[in-house]
Amino acid sequence: MKLDFAFIWTAFLQLLTAIPTALAITAVSVLCGLVIGTAVAIVRLYKIPVLYQIAASYVTFIRGTPMLTHLLLIYFGLPIIVDGIAEALGLSFRSVSIPMIGFAYLSFSITAGAYMSEVVRSGLLAVNRGQIEAAYSIGMTTSQAMRRIILPQAFSASLPNLSNMIIGMLHGSTLAFTVSVVEINAKAQIVATTNWKFFEAYLAAAIIFWGLTFIIERLTALAEKRFNLYNRGGVS
Amino acid sequence: MGEPFDISYVFEYLVKLLPTLKVTLLIVVSSIVIGLGVGFIVALPQLYKIPILRRLSQVYLSFFRGTPILIQLFLFYYGLPEILKLVNVDVAKLPALYFVILTYALHSGAYLAEMIRAAVGAVDRGQVEAAYSVGMTGFQAFTRIVLPQAMAISIPVFSNLVIANLKDTSLAFSLGIMELTGKSQTLAVMSRHFVETYISLALIYFVISFGLEKLFHLIEKKLLRHERRLAAEDKEPRLHKGKTKRFRFIAGPGFGRGGRENEA
Repeated sequence: MKLDFAFIWTAFLQLLTAIPTALAITAVSVLCGLVIGTAVAIVRLYKIPVLYQIAASYVTFIRGTPMLTHLLLIYFGLPIIVDGIAEALGLSFRSVSIPMIGFAYLSFSITAGAYMSEVVRSGLLAVNRGQIEAAYSIGMTTSQAMRRIILPQAFSASLPNLSNMIIGMLHGSTLAFTVSVVEINAKAQIVATTNWKFFEAYLAAAIIFWGLTFIIERLTALAEKRFNLYNRGGVS
Repeated sequence: MGEPFDISYVFEYLVKLLPTLKVTLLIVVSSIVIGLGVGFIVALPQLYKIPILRRLSQVYLSFFRGTPILIQLFLFYYGLPEILKLVNVDVAKLPALYFVILTYALHSGAYLAEMIRAAVGAVDRGQVEAAYSVGMTGFQAFTRIVLPQAMAISIPVFSNLVIANLKDTSLAFSLGIMELTGKSQTLAVMSRHFVETYISLALIYFVISFGLEKLFHLIEKKLLRHERRLAAEDKEPRLHKGKTKRFRFIAGPGFGRGGRENEA
């Protein structure tokens, strides 16, 4: 086997240009997922009547089906819905004008939201019940107790899971190639087809992902140290 | 895009997709079985702290958890034949299915190794010491005392991994494997009923993973029946029933669960 090291380097350099796309997909899906997930988790924790059933079935369905099917369903299903609504309302907007990456953003956010709700839920449950009682006892309202007492602690408790989520969504961003978004995987394919050196191109892609994953892990380790400062116990 | 939506096609495609379910399940079962073997081999150096092998297994874990399964699929599909050419083994004609199974086995192997490591670590140290004190050898203590307990502990994680593996197999279509997703792509393109096909695809995946979860739940109950009694004995006052039940969730988005394993 002749491994073309020069080409790995060329591919590596070209793949670097696709990193922003991958990171954008990751960031958007994780952030939107966090918002959806927090809402769903709160609905499920407080058992709000009708919403509770909807939230539960949303989480169960999303977690029971592959991320790829969500993407495909959104990609093919959303235009039908959007066009239907636009036509009914007499708007000139058509689904064609939605950029490809929009489908990826939306679908991955929906996927991330379901998993994130579990991350948030486990984080909230990890906070001692006494904390919120103490907050109430000194006269805080529920929203104050949530914002000032519970959420910060829940956040630091769920950091490891959050890091897993971010890495998972980063790896998931490779799926966007199915809706013709040029992220790292698609770029590797494009680079490889110039001279059919697929192995080298994918090796470069693997190195990039490995590096990105490593960086995310390091960063969360740092964040964990920072956010768990309060948790050291003993004398301050 | 495509034909107008018609719900009746969902059932029609459900029937058409079902035969390819066995390819998906074949990938899942064989990769989990091989992956368990790989996981053991990778976990042992870490459990017994063998100097150099330990580093190697760490690199293995880091690589397979640090790169997306999709990239790994392509990497093995294109790279393995070239590497094996060095030792004069020609696998270029081998069906892609073998590469897929191997990749999923190695990928799950990394996660399974972590699972095994965590589960063995969770068994009380006193158990091994007790086993030694009644004269068991290291091997006996491991197989008779540690392993059965570790197995029961690891069932929730194992269940998550199997379901994640099932969902990951949807990517095998990218190498042209005719499993559920691959077949649904063909069906969708031919009939142009995209949404209906993918709805039935999602339904199949959902039913399988839901069934698997219930199944593993039963197994866990069975394996933990000796624990149950202990738990009942030290009844502690619990304020919130239902909220204290053990928390479990499917690791990551079912696709490349990188980084540390979640605390299960």
